[in-house]
Amino acid sequence: MKRKSAALWFLPALVLLSIVVLYPVIRTLALSFFHDSLATGFRAEFAGLANFRRLVFDSRFHSSLLTTTFFTVVSVAVEFLFGLLLALSVDALHGWRSLVRTIFLVPWTLPTAIIAVLWSWIFNDQYGVLNAVLMRMGLVESPVTWLAAPSTAMFAIIAADVWKSFPFVFIILLAGLQNIPQDLYEAIQIDGGGRWASFRYVTWPHLLPFVFVALIFRLVQAFAVFDLVWVMTGGGPGGATETVSIYTYQTYMRYLDLGYGSAMAVTPVAILALLGIALYRLVQMKYEELF
Amino acid sequence: MAVIPILGLFALSLRGPARLSAGLSILMEPDGTGVWRDLFAEFEKNHPDIRVRLVEGPPATNTREDMYSTSFLSGAAGYDIVYCDVIWVPKFAAAGWLLDLTSRLSPADRQDLLPVDLRAGSYRGRLYQVPAFTDAGVLYYRKDLVPRPPETFDELERMAREFKTSERWGFLWQGKQYEGLVTVYLEVLWGFGGEWIDSETGKVFLDRPEALHALEFLKRTIGSISPPAVTTYIEEDTRNLFQNGRAVFLRNWPYVWTLMKETPLGAEGRVGMAPVVHAPGRESAATLGGWGFAISRFTRDPEAAWQLVNFLTGPEQLRKVQLRMGRVPSRKSLVPPEFVPVLEAARMRPPIPEYAQASDILQRWLSAALTESATPLRALNEAARETRLLLGEARQ
Repeated sequence: MKRKSAALWFLPALVLLSIVVLYPVIRTLALSFFHDSLATGFRAEFAGLANFRRLVFDSRFHSSLLTTTFFTVVSVAVEFLFGLLLALSVDALHGWRSLVRTIFLVPWTLPTAIIAVLWSWIFNDQYGVLNAVLMRMGLVESPVTWLAAPSTAMFAIIAADVWKSFPFVFIILLAGLQNIPQDLYEAIQIDGGGRWASFRYVTWPHLLPFVFVALIFRLVQAFAVFDLVWVMTGGGPGGATETVSIYTYQTYMRYLDLGYGSAMAVTPVAILALLGIALYRLVQMKYEELF
Repeated sequence: MAVIPILGLFALSLRGPARLSAGLSILMEPDGTGVWRDLFAEFEKNHPDIRVRLVEGPPATNTREDMYSTSFLSGAAGYDIVYCDVIWVPKFAAAGWLLDLTSRLSPADRQDLLPVDLRAGSYRGRLYQVPAFTDAGVLYYRKDLVPRPPETFDELERMAREFKTSERWGFLWQGKQYEGLVTVYLEVLWGFGGEWIDSETGKVFLDRPEALHALEFLKRTIGSISPPAVTTYIEEDTRNLFQNGRAVFLRNWPYVWTLMKETPLGAEGRVGMAPVVHAPGRESAATLGGWGFAISRFTRDPEAAWQLVNFLTGPEQLRKVQLRMGRVPSRKSLVPPEFVPVLEAARMRPPIPEYAQASDILQRWLSAALTESATPLRALNEAARETRLLLGEARQ
């Protein structure tokens, strides 16, 4: 009886998920094996692996993949470092903890497109606050056109992403830290372990599952970055900040190459899935080794 | 339970809004001068049963192009009228999203509209877009400095060198990675007797010597007769520099001519206009641009839509827009005489459905060569290879 009603309660969510998630995913996957574009008059013609073969030789896809990987690795690494340091220091706090936590969480709650507009203004060459500060400090002589040069544009996007997303890592790791039983620290103190030893043998192993969750979420989100780049640079200058999702959007919406665009959408998912599994295995192995 | 209201909304959207009277919607650029609003008001007065809804979209044209595509892909009657750039025509027509207007255009209009614009508004011999405004690349020069406008690339380089000073550059053009760079490059390419793509056969000519000469010419100007930052300039950057007296030559569009008259330089008659330059023994060729009106296949009221298109492209209406926005109408009777020689030499960009993609390939590699991340030879070979792959792949 209880089981039946549970299933019934689950039904609306299942129907909704099927409509908005399952159907598009299956359709995109299916479409990636077809030619369906302007040239075919939007009739799907079976293509086998032709779309994926085309991806292998598409230099623009390669460079967008590299750009996305660079963005993901750098911004997630910095976010992780900031998040961990902040979580450790807030965990050591005795009062004010919830206030500090709330303040740091604000950037995470803002919509990305709005954050992108905000940071484009910070990095604006004529009116931006960053140039104003740098010039007043005498660090630069003339305004830097942050978003107009390939390397500085990428830096600007990473800075915005770090600002938005490190609170997420922070909050997850903080939850992990607060879960660690205090008696373990006492035990290691009795054994004569210092600060490093308690981090190495108590904090880190207990935190590892939380690290895994935070990293997986951030890696997947960063790899799929669209809105931040779209609003701040549109993928420019000279395609230097074009990520896979931007190229996919262009292919699908602008070039109207639905089959190829679908293949382009499916491929990163496969890459991410493999990456996720690898990371999971790694953590699992480490975990067994630690205990 | 949450599903029920959502499904309800879904059903409602399938049914569509009730059809009370003919309402037409159109997506356009922001109506800064208010001239479009005035024209729609005038139209509604003459056609009391039709309402026009103007959606003012973003000024970036490719964003509006994507907005139209999204609406068409969903198959719904989002916009009835398409305010259409000539380079969208092949794509939208090939997708079957525009109504064939060939038989609707009156013989009188067919006579008066510029033939080159009518060709640009057509796809495979059928007319899909009624031309409204025309555009073609023009060379502006400082009449007070240069005795006569240059005709060849060498003359342009020589004169630019001769009259440039520490305050004044020789030659301004649009070098940022965007559609404008393609239009500039095409004029140089055609001026050397080269070709980009044969739209009939899908043949690509970017790895021919003419294409290399053209790219090397543009690259040579950077830092010598053109400012190093030219690779970041779009139309307005170059116009502002030129009208402040900071350059001898400027490649730009006809709208500059109207605006220039209001500046000291233009008012004193120190600016002249000439066809773009070419190699000796070749002909000047300007890249053709332009805007017009098309009708969505998904419109519920094609008759009313045609009434509006016919009204907007009428001589009186185009004249009003010409006076208020400085645009050049696509009608022989309204083209200012000074633009006639330029427009006669105007050439279309290849009318292929894959245009946006082909242009992106060219932009990317031109920009790479101009900003020194690839040699001109390699850039053009790569662009040729990728374009062949695109056209071959798409056409199997």
